[in-house]
Amino acid sequence: MDRPSPSRLIALALGFALAAPPLAAEPEGARTQIAAAEASTDWEGGERLVWDPLEPMNRGIFQFNETLDAWLLEPVATGWDRVLPNRVQRCIANFFTHLVLPVRFANDLLQLKPVKAFDDTGRFVTNSLIGVGGLFDPATRFGIPKHDEDFGQTLGHWGVPAGPYLVLPILGPSNPRDTLGLAVDSVGAIQSFFLSLPVLASAGAVNAINDRSLTLEQVRAERASAFDFYAAVRNAYSQYRAARVRDREIEPKRESVDEDLYYLDDEEEDGDA
Amino acid sequence: MRERCARVGVLFALACGLGAAAAALASEEPSGVRPRQIIETSAQQVLAILRDPARTQEQRIAELEKLAYDRFDFRTMTRLVLSRSWKKLSAEQQDDFVEQFTRYLANDYSSRLDRYEQQDVTVLDERAEPRGDVTVRTRMQGGEVDGAIIDYRMRERGGTWRIIDVVIEGISLVANLRDQFREVLTREGPEKLLEKLREKNAAPVESPAPSALAAPLPDWTGRPAAATLRQE
Repeated sequence: MDRPSPSRLIALALGFALAAPPLAAEPEGARTQIAAAEASTDWEGGERLVWDPLEPMNRGIFQFNETLDAWLLEPVATGWDRVLPNRVQRCIANFFTHLVLPVRFANDLLQLKPVKAFDDTGRFVTNSLIGVGGLFDPATRFGIPKHDEDFGQTLGHWGVPAGPYLVLPILGPSNPRDTLGLAVDSVGAIQSFFLSLPVLASAGAVNAINDRSLTLEQVRAERASAFDFYAAVRNAYSQYRAARVRDREIEPKRESVDEDLYYLDDEEEDGDA
Repeated sequence: MRERCARVGVLFALACGLGAAAAALASEEPSGVRPRQIIETSAQQVLAILRDPARTQEQRIAELEKLAYDRFDFRTMTRLVLSRSWKKLSAEQQDDFVEQFTRYLANDYSSRLDRYEQQDVTVLDERAEPRGDVTVRTRMQGGEVDGAIIDYRMRERGGTWRIIDVVIEGISLVANLRDQFREVLTREGPEKLLEKLREKNAAPVESPAPSALAAPLPDWTGRPAAATLRQE
């Protein structure tokens, strides 16, 4: 019944609501650490920092998004949360995830991942028929794995670098590759072929509010625990998307980067032990 | 007299032998415990604490915090998070940072865990890292974060494996905090960062209202939360 969509997991992990794309198609793409490691300017001696040359502008837009959230999205989502039972919220979330499945399927194929394509097909059929058009998620109970391939990841899979970190107005954290991915996925979504723009926009708003209502607590906690919320979101988004492109597997290429993260230098190591 | 001496000698030898055996056991046991087992045991302990309806939220968090002190190598984490700035600090500042950051992490981690409702944890595998560390890979099951992969990077020190990083769905806690700390350090300097840490420790991060996720079972089971609170 639950919907462990990537945005929710992130929200749980590091809780930024604005990372949740308010469109039916989830925001895709992330700057990959692989690309970062290759373009050495992205990294400062294993600091695992995110390439953010547009930081002043990004911070401005981030602030705008935060204000928008504080004055509009969060209050509306709070009301939504009070009115609607959690079960209903979950059904709505399930439904929107369901609509994205064909796009995921296409991206599975584009990345030549037949197993995932098979899973996603099974999930779509199961939840369409038994899950009342995607309102419920029996596929999970039947043990069909969830995946979340999108066009941003497809581009990353074929070696397209993420580019600099980018904060989009309203949509939140992104980068050029993921922005393109998001655009392609949105256009490719089935509903965009037979629904008018106002209807799509309303649906997107409902999805955004519903998603936000499911992460109210986490986001509040994350904001409170962060030392620099902008940097926290930027870093989490970049790491998350990079891991998504790798399918959460550890890539040998990246090991040197990781080792730099975990060892400052040997002298210090001994001195401290 | 001789007999007595002999008896004392025997006792002494016995005591030494026992002592040596005990010492051997003591030194062997910790290093014998694999990182994987540590994570498995910890997960069971955490779930036991989270699922006990008799405990209040405050009690749960306090116990999780205590567990965190045993399982994490907070000093190493502090060093890694401060990264290059670590060496630029005075010894006192370093100790201050370790103390404050430890409190911050223990509290943050325990209150974070408290939001995980009824879940299960499966340990998937244990992977050796190039320079002696070990990464234990786990998967959450059930609830909000069903299927989430959480990696624990562990390092051995003095015969005990401790956690030095938690990587949730590819997001390394150490890397994330390092990024944040770097911003504060370059803009405002180490003293300001220490001050921020102290502020956060003074007002621990907690959900203002009882979270919908942390099922407020104690309130409904006939054990009023107030009664349990009074015992403290």
